Amino acid sequence: MMKTLKGFLSKGQTSWNMILIGLLVLEFVIFGAANGKFLRPALLFTSINDNLPVFMISLFVTLVMVTGGIDIQVASLVGLTSITIGVGWQDFGLPIWGAVGVAFVLVVACGALSGFLIAYCRVQAMVVTLGGSFLYSGLALLISTLSKTESYQGIGGFPEDFKFVSNFQLFGVIPFQLLIYILMLVVAFILLHKTKYGRRITLVGVNQSAAEFSGINSRAVIMSTYMLSAVSAVIAGVVLTAYLGTAKSDLGADLTMDIITAVVLGGTLSTGGKGSIVGTALASFVIAFLRFGLPLCFKVSPQYLDIPVGVLLVVVIVARSAASGTNIGTFLKSLLSSSSKAKA
Amino acid sequence: MDLVKRLLKARGLSSLAFLIALFIIVGAMNPAFLTPATIAACFNTSVVYTLVAVGVAFTLFIGEIDVSVGSNLGLVAVVVGSMLRDGTPLPVACLVGILIGVAIGLVNAWGVAVMKAPSLIFTLGTNGVLRGIVYVYTNGQWVENLPKEFKDFSAVTGIGDFTVYYCAVIALVILIHFALTQTRRGRWFAAVGDNANGATLVGIPALQTKILAYVICGVMAAIGGIIFCSRIGFVTPMSGNGYEMKAIAACVLGGVSLLGGVGSVLGAAVGSVIMASISYLLVFMGFSSNYDNAITGVILIVIVVVDALLQHRSIVQNRHARLNARVSPKATSEVLAEQIADFGEAAMSPLGKKGGVR
Amino acid sequence: MGETFDIDIDATDPKSPEGKDVCEQCDTLLSVRGIRKSFGSNEVLKGINLDLAPGEVISLIGGNGSGKSTLMKIIMGIYSADEGEISIDRQKVDISNPKAALAHSIYMVPQEPMLFPNMTVRENITIGFEAPKAELNKMLEDTMKEIGWELDLDRKAMTLSIAEQGMVEILRGLMRHSEILILDEPTSALTFDEVQSLFKVVQELKQKNIGIIYITHRLAEVFEISTSIGILRDGVMAMRGKVEDFTREDLVRGLLPPDAAEIKKEIAESANIDYDAEPIFELAEFTGYGFADVNLNIYPGEIVGLAGIVGAGRSEMATTIYGMDKVLGGKVFVDGKDITGKSTKDVIAAGLSYVPEDRFNDGLFRIRDVAENTTSSLLANSSLGKLLLNRKEEDRVSQNYVDNFRTKVTGLDQEVGGLSGGNQQKIVIGRAFSVAPKVVILDEPTRGIDAAARGDVYAVLQELRKQGVSILLISSDMEEIIELADRAFTMYQGRINHEFKKEEITQDNLMSAAFGL
Repeated sequence: MMKTLKGFLSKGQTSWNMILIGLLVLEFVIFGAANGKFLRPALLFTSINDNLPVFMISLFVTLVMVTGGIDIQVASLVGLTSITIGVGWQDFGLPIWGAVGVAFVLVVACGALSGFLIAYCRVQAMVVTLGGSFLYSGLALLISTLSKTESYQGIGGFPEDFKFVSNFQLFGVIPFQLLIYILMLVVAFILLHKTKYGRRITLVGVNQSAAEFSGINSRAVIMSTYMLSAVSAVIAGVVLTAYLGTAKSDLGADLTMDIITAVVLGGTLSTGGKGSIVGTALASFVIAFLRFGLPLCFKVSPQYLDIPVGVLLVVVIVARSAASGTNIGTFLKSLLSSSSKAKA
Repeated sequence: MDLVKRLLKARGLSSLAFLIALFIIVGAMNPAFLTPATIAACFNTSVVYTLVAVGVAFTLFIGEIDVSVGSNLGLVAVVVGSMLRDGTPLPVACLVGILIGVAIGLVNAWGVAVMKAPSLIFTLGTNGVLRGIVYVYTNGQWVENLPKEFKDFSAVTGIGDFTVYYCAVIALVILIHFALTQTRRGRWFAAVGDNANGATLVGIPALQTKILAYVICGVMAAIGGIIFCSRIGFVTPMSGNGYEMKAIAACVLGGVSLLGGVGSVLGAAVGSVIMASISYLLVFMGFSSNYDNAITGVILIVIVVVDALLQHRSIVQNRHARLNARVSPKATSEVLAEQIADFGEAAMSPLGKKGGVR
Repeated sequence: MGETFDIDIDATDPKSPEGKDVCEQCDTLLSVRGIRKSFGSNEVLKGINLDLAPGEVISLIGGNGSGKSTLMKIIMGIYSADEGEISIDRQKVDISNPKAALAHSIYMVPQEPMLFPNMTVRENITIGFEAPKAELNKMLEDTMKEIGWELDLDRKAMTLSIAEQGMVEILRGLMRHSEILILDEPTSALTFDEVQSLFKVVQELKQKNIGIIYITHRLAEVFEISTSIGILRDGVMAMRGKVEDFTREDLVRGLLPPDAAEIKKEIAESANIDYDAEPIFELAEFTGYGFADVNLNIYPGEIVGLAGIVGAGRSEMATTIYGMDKVLGGKVFVDGKDITGKSTKDVIAAGLSYVPEDRFNDGLFRIRDVAENTTSSLLANSSLGKLLLNRKEEDRVSQNYVDNFRTKVTGLDQEVGGLSGGNQQKIVIGRAFSVAPKVVILDEPTRGIDAAARGDVYAVLQELRKQGVSILLISSDMEEIIELADRAFTMYQGRINHEFKKEEITQDNLMSAAFGL
């Protein structure tokens, strides 16, 4: 039993995806049995809508992580998108889609800047995007001060053709923003798994030097993934702003953990070189339904939900490492020997 | 070239220079800043950051990272705070707090050092779990009504305008610095971060060193949590949130490399002062605190980029210089001709060849 | 599995003659009995016995995958054996980690130097010792004086050359006053002078009754320094005896698998090269970091050898041609087209590809499969599709190279990290040829791979040159150049100092030119 599980964990993406699907089914069975409301399409779509920014962004952060990088600034770019749209439209009198265009250019430029520093100046991705998360959230806050509206209130009252993004429902049930997500899913899947670009991303992630020796411009590849992840933040920012009806500078600020969790849970190696869009998508659904089902069915306070998500992340990452290595016995032994040494 | 080399050698020192320059600039813009009290305040406010950053620096030395320190601090703060509120004696509460820190350190060490999970991801997970536990423990409520003498102690000054807390913490940091640089085992942390396999091969117990680093990190964050209670006077369920990022930023500002093996705790302490006093400095420069994050981000990015570029340049220059040194200045036949002309036949004998360029 | 070998002994039986001590009357420092080790289903060591006496230097030789490194790692406590025991001074000991090995006065100088790049040379050597600093420093200076090596102790280890890193590793071992010293291919990155001073050191250690296990691929060294020889093949100690009892032929025979003879015949054929044609590749006064004023040309279908010692500037020249470093002067032409200072992608497109010296760091994508590794250079042109990846074409190309190069893989979807060094190298060479190049630069193509795979690589190169590909063969292995090259150059201190025609290529000529004599 343990052995087959071990083999399963270390085997490959397909079997990993099966585990994720199993988790999803398990969630449906348990939550569905506990509270029939869970299975209502309208409610399910609501829960998906609530989590769409994570779904969307994690797809493209997967690309970043496959190159061996990490992007912890992308959540701050959601807020930057939102506030730029709001201020541009309300205080600078831009047409709403014009404001979206400005936000797009600004945010992708931010992604490009970070990507450039990582790829061409050889600064670690973690440090640059940490700095980026300060800088871009700070920038969002500064942009919000340009508005006559107090920043904590948020800018609202957007025109109908903007709210269309979140209001329209295909066949009366399927939200339009979900269709946007599906489109992004397809694009990300083809990009990573079917194109030469995706292959370059993968190879750069395995061994950047060998990629260079194969004639791949590894730096341009690395930089581009941060720009793509910024693009996904723009789309998520537009969708979230339309969905909530207000533009705020700190929208999405708390998404970082869920995004990284989804990517890692989806089977992407944090050291790069391996990753799966389908895995990321499945994992993000697992997390979303967990966050939706627990309060609905078991009256778990939403504030506690970081515990199950965190536990899930910790368990998965440990199980995957364990599938290729040590056990708890070594740990205890090493503790004993270190304490005995301390005495000596 | 030489200057660059020396700067690189003492990266912690250059951040101290940066801090002093920052103070001078702010002082030039607003002389009101240049009083002992205000400058001491910059240091005093950094006390919790310093503790957390020095702890995180240990995990960075060994080439890993700990982003659970924010929630670690929060959990210790709510537990210690509520115990004190309910009348538990201070030493008991502190002991419990530190034990929590040890426990969290051990859990992280188990995941990272033993199970070999990627540290960023694993500690991101424990961060979430710990924050959730904080909510469960407090039921979402604030912890208030802490004993007055405990709160007031945070304002007691020791040397000059520096608080007792800051003096104690700085003394601790200097002690740690001394232990890390002057003792045989102190260098083990950096050695493990520099080359874990190589460390094992020369007999350094890499696993134990890693475990110890995480435990120290957990304990430092726990002490930070206790002082946090005292200084702020109340604890919210969100207390400590984001401290992990600021602590990492402080380490980076102070010259600690995220790749492991490089940096000093003194640097981390200086970085913490920069991080903590930015908003303070902005006020004196006449900016609103809205600029806080943006300025922090710019400083962080500029420093690491300049650092990386300088380092890369010096590596490339070193490499090129070394390669060029290998090339004989003139074609071999010309050299031979010259040698023959100069020394006659003697140059052709094996003796004449000795000491050639490698 | 080598059963055909004439001294065929079941090495699993500890009473067999092979298991016996070479010198039964002497003390044994180290005695290894019946060591077995498997990784998964792959049994790497099948019951090894080995004894080391004080003052003995055992040369341990064997192909890649023969188990020498695994055996040494077990002695050093890095791996633990599945079965068998280790005794030191006739006492059974438990070596479960390197610390225990160090406590028993064992030290291993690993093949890849394991230094701390951010620490100084001094710190690198003295870390892990219990003695006070001042004492250590004095000891270090004495040791350095004794062996006459010059090394700036305050330099950061990351600025050291590979040879210098090797010196630091050896110094570490000497400082420990180890009684048992394991040297794992210590000379592979050293220059001639350094090798000589190392040998001097080894001789002195021998006098001091230190036991040394010396792992090497260079057969000439074996006779120069060892007192006895052990040959490992397929996890079994195939031969063991005093050095006087072996000839060079014995060693070669001991290493080669039985079918190696046929491969040699193919190689003997030589090609007709039209030296009146336009050269396909030309370097004119080419200058960069580490080399200067190089003039060199290659004709269609020709194999040109480039010999020289490590550090002569050959790899630097190759990587500079390949767009990895700045060109300081001169020109490079491929088929008449100027490619000086072009990017790697453009250089490949112009018809030149390069097989890097450092296979692990610059060649392999270890966690990806055979097909992805073979076709990575094809991503630059449109042969695998414009935007979308043509998997069928990718598999076709990869299968083609697997078949032609006789690469041993379980399938195109096998990860290359698990392949043997020789098969990995075949894949990297396949990649270089997949882009239909006119010229290929191979940099140390057979370093660290076993004799059989070496024969395969030679056969492949011969085959490809018949198809009109020109080859620049950079090698420190003079025999390789003698065997393959139609013409040869030597580089010394960054400059070409000699050109040899086919009939002039001899070991003596190459050697003396490579050392600037």
